Formats: sequence, C-alpha cells, structure tokens
Amino acid sequence: MKQSRSATEVMFLTIVSAVYIFLMAPIVLIVVLSLNSGEFLLFPIEGLSLRWFGELYASQQFIDAILTSLQVAGIATVVSGVLGTAAAIYCVRHAGRMRGVLRLFLMTPLLIPEILTAIALLFYMYQIGVGTSYSIGMQIGHIVITLPYVFMNVATSLFNFDDSVEEAARSLGASPVVTFRRVTLPLIKPGVITGCLFAFIISFDIFNISLLLKGVGTTTLPIQLFDYLRWDFDPTAAAVSAVSITMTLVAILILDRFVGLRSLRF
Amino acid sequence: MTVAQTISPAQRRLGPLVLIVPAIALLFAFFVLPYFSIIVMSFRTASASAPYGDSYTLVHFTTALSDSYTMGILARTLGLGLLVTVITLILGYPVAWHLARTKSRWKGLLYTFVLSPLLVGLVVRTFGWMIILSKNGVANQSLAWLGLTDSPLQLMNNNLGVTIALVHVFLPFIILPLLGNIQAINPELESAARSLGASRTKTFFRVTLPLSMPGIQAGTILVFVLSISAYVTPAMLGGARAKTMSVLVVQYLVDNFRWPAGAALALILAFTAIVTVWLYFMLTRNMTRRLP
Repeated sequence: MKQSRSATEVMFLTIVSAVYIFLMAPIVLIVVLSLNSGEFLLFPIEGLSLRWFGELYASQQFIDAILTSLQVAGIATVVSGVLGTAAAIYCVRHAGRMRGVLRLFLMTPLLIPEILTAIALLFYMYQIGVGTSYSIGMQIGHIVITLPYVFMNVATSLFNFDDSVEEAARSLGASPVVTFRRVTLPLIKPGVITGCLFAFIISFDIFNISLLLKGVGTTTLPIQLFDYLRWDFDPTAAAVSAVSITMTLVAILILDRFVGLRSLRF
Repeated sequence: MTVAQTISPAQRRLGPLVLIVPAIALLFAFFVLPYFSIIVMSFRTASASAPYGDSYTLVHFTTALSDSYTMGILARTLGLGLLVTVITLILGYPVAWHLARTKSRWKGLLYTFVLSPLLVGLVVRTFGWMIILSKNGVANQSLAWLGLTDSPLQLMNNNLGVTIALVHVFLPFIILPLLGNIQAINPELESAARSLGASRTKTFFRVTLPLSMPGIQAGTILVFVLSISAYVTPAMLGGARAKTMSVLVVQYLVDNFRWPAGAALALILAFTAIVTVWLYFMLTRNMTRRLP
C-alpha cells in the first residue's frame, strides 16, 4: 500500500538527499576523473584509462612522499599503539579517582587545534636544539596527535568487560604477563585494532605538523600533493587522491572485517 | 610460594604506574612544554639574522592589535567561523534527525555518506572542491550547459569557496554529536506531543529541539573552533582575498621567518577563540535552563 506524502515531508527529504549528495560529490568526482584518459580535470571524461596512475608511478616525488608517509604513519601507529594501550589499561583498571583527570589530559591533543600544536612543537624543537634538520619533530608530532585515538578506543573496549576474568586468571596462578597476554589482550583486541587503524589513517592525513616540522628534503603525501597543486592541475593529482582514498577504504574494510563498523563510536 | 605473594603492597600499587608513565612523559615533554614555548616566543624580540632575537618585548602584541590589516583578518576569520557553524547546523540537523529516525535498509550506506568527508584526506577533499569550483570546473561547466550563466562565475579564491569547502569538511562534526543526541531522545515523547494535539512544527520546536540542545552545543563549538583554526582549506581555496589568521600565521613562520610575531598572532587567535566559546557556552547554558 502506498502512503502519500505531505509537501513538508517531500521538502524535508529533498533537503536531506541534497546534503547526502553534497557530502559524497567531491570524492566521487575525484575517483571518476582519475580514470579519465584526457589531459584535463574536466567533464565529460574522454574515456577510461589508467594512464594517470602510470604517470604517478613514474613520478619519483610522489612515490617518495607515499613511502615517507607510510613510514611515519607506521612508526606513529606502533608507538601510539603501545603507549595508548598501556595508558588505557592503567586509566580503566588502576587510576581510581584520578581517572577523569588522566582521561582528559590524554585526550587534550585531540581537543586543541592541530595548527597550534604544530607551531608549539616547531618553537620547542628549536629551543631544545634539535631543530628540523631531521624529521624527528614531525614523527613525535604524529605520535602526540594519534595517541588519543588509540587511548580512546582501547579505554572504551576495556569499559565493556569487568575485571573479574583477570582476577580469576591471577588467582589461578597466572603471572601478570600471562594474564595480560592470554586474557586481557584477546578481550581488548577489537579496541586495539580500531585504535591503531585510526592512528594510521589520521597520521597519513596529518598536514599542519608535517608542514612546519618536516625535515629538509623530506615530504609526506599530503604536503607533496598540496605543493603539486600550487603549480600543476592535472589528473595525476586525482590519481594520487584516488590511491589515498583506496588506502583508507582498505583500512575501513579491514576494520569492518575484524570488529564491524557498527561498533564504532566517535 | 607463588610469585604473587612475594610482591609487597607498595610494589602492587606502584607497579602499574609503568603503564601510564611513558604516555604522560611523552605528552608532558612534547605537548605541554611546547605550549610554554609559544608564550615565551611571543615575547621575544625580532631579529634580522635569525627567526627570533635574544631579549624580550611586548611589541608584537601591541603592533598586531593596533594594525587594522591584522585585525581585519581576525574579524574575517571569526565571521567565517560563525557563518560555517550556522550553515552546518542548518544543513546538519535535518540529516542527523533523518539518520536517527529512519528505518531504511540503506541506513548503513547513508551513515557512510556522512562519514565520508572524514575518511578522505584533508588535501584530497579540498582538491575535490577545486575541481568543482575552479573557473573551468564542474560547477561552472554545468551552469553554462544549463544556459544559466554566460561567463564563468568566481567560485573560488574568495570567501564563498572557503565557506562551501569548510561546510563540507565539518558537517560530520555536527551531524555525529547530534545523531547520538537525537537517538537518545525517546520517540514516544514526540508521539505524545502529537497525540495531545500539537502540530508537527510545534512538536519540533517545543520537544525535539530543546531536548537536542546538548548535541547542538557540542557540535557547534567543535565546528567553530575547527573552522577558525583550519589552514589547508583557506590556503588552497582562499587565495589572497580570503586570507584567514591561520594562513597569516603560517606565512609569518614559514615565509617571513618572523617567529615572535607569528607566535603573538597565534596566541591572539587562541585567546579570542576561548573567549568566544566561553561566552557562547554561558549564553546557551542559560537558554537551556529557561526552557519549561
């Protein structure tokens, strides 16, 4: 049986659909234009081809930038993963009355605009005499920014089960290390995976910190793309963007496979 | 004797600290201390040969605050933040409501649509808008093809382009808090109001909207702070005509090597943001209180 809809309802649904389209439009356009066989970033596309991905593969600058980004994001993920997980276990299991304060403190890098943190770190690295001749400042900045994501996700998954299982393992004679490896870790695994994937995606996208703190001669993918777009405006940039979109999608699919997207809390 | 019994009570209490100390030490050394550097830097003197001099001065604050060009950019940045916040709220609220109440089997897909701007890199997203808004871009092509315009419209390198792209980037930040908030409102409250004779409009303004105030407050503060501190979008789409404070600060730091002056500008922006958010917070708190 078909229900007739009132004029208000139709108007409401139109607005809502328009916003959904608005949200997706730029991303869909980039992917479509990266497959364009023509010279320009224009519609209608002349034909489908992978030639701009070939151009990308031939561009040493972009390949270097992608490799740097992967390396920086990889290190940031491992360090934030370990430190964030440990901090979350302490906060939920041992912090007691300090829990609220610690939680807020560990979340602050997320609450303060990244550009301010980037500026602060830039000045600080020079004042302690390290400077930006190496990318160490950039790497530390990436860890600082990604730490809250791991902490938040692991803490959430820890809240969801009570500590009696751990107590049981301990009272049956398991050492703290064995208890952690055999009981705690399997239970918080979804939180750790989610947190680490987030850390990776976020680090891969960090711009301001990389802009101000990158070492001489190094560049990450977002910075390289930004610089490229200042002078060139061709489908290579769309191909780079499509590669980066694909990487995020793969990460999201892994996430969905391991923990299910429905369990995500932002 | 088992291992557990050999551990003294003091060890049992202090042992777990091993878990938290590295994270705290990292944040203290590379997050808290650096923020003191900004403050110290803003009082340093300028230097011709280095990014900053050795002695201290207040001149960067007095110069910035009395310079009409800088204050104009500050005013424009705040105005832009306000505009983006209002537009994201107006566009985001219906979507959040729809997503919270829909029983469509496409709900998961629609949720992905809302999240999509967050999942794609910032530079990539802004690049997407360059493709759409440039002189020969998709928007101008479509308008010309429809016969609506004779010559291409100026859609980027001005406030319009920056506003559109910022609204796109930050819509999820207002939809997600609102979504959680609206989902928590019992739909029976709305049905009750309706069955007692209130019109749809009245139900919305007297029941749903007041109950979603916490979500509105959280989302709008988030979007405002993110918009006024955004760098990539204004730098890529703003051109020289729509410069914001962040762009000016980075220009001072990277292009002009005037670090103390840049630090002062960053602090002025941060201070203005804190005051604005605090005023807004007090204002909306009173508004929520006065509700029947």
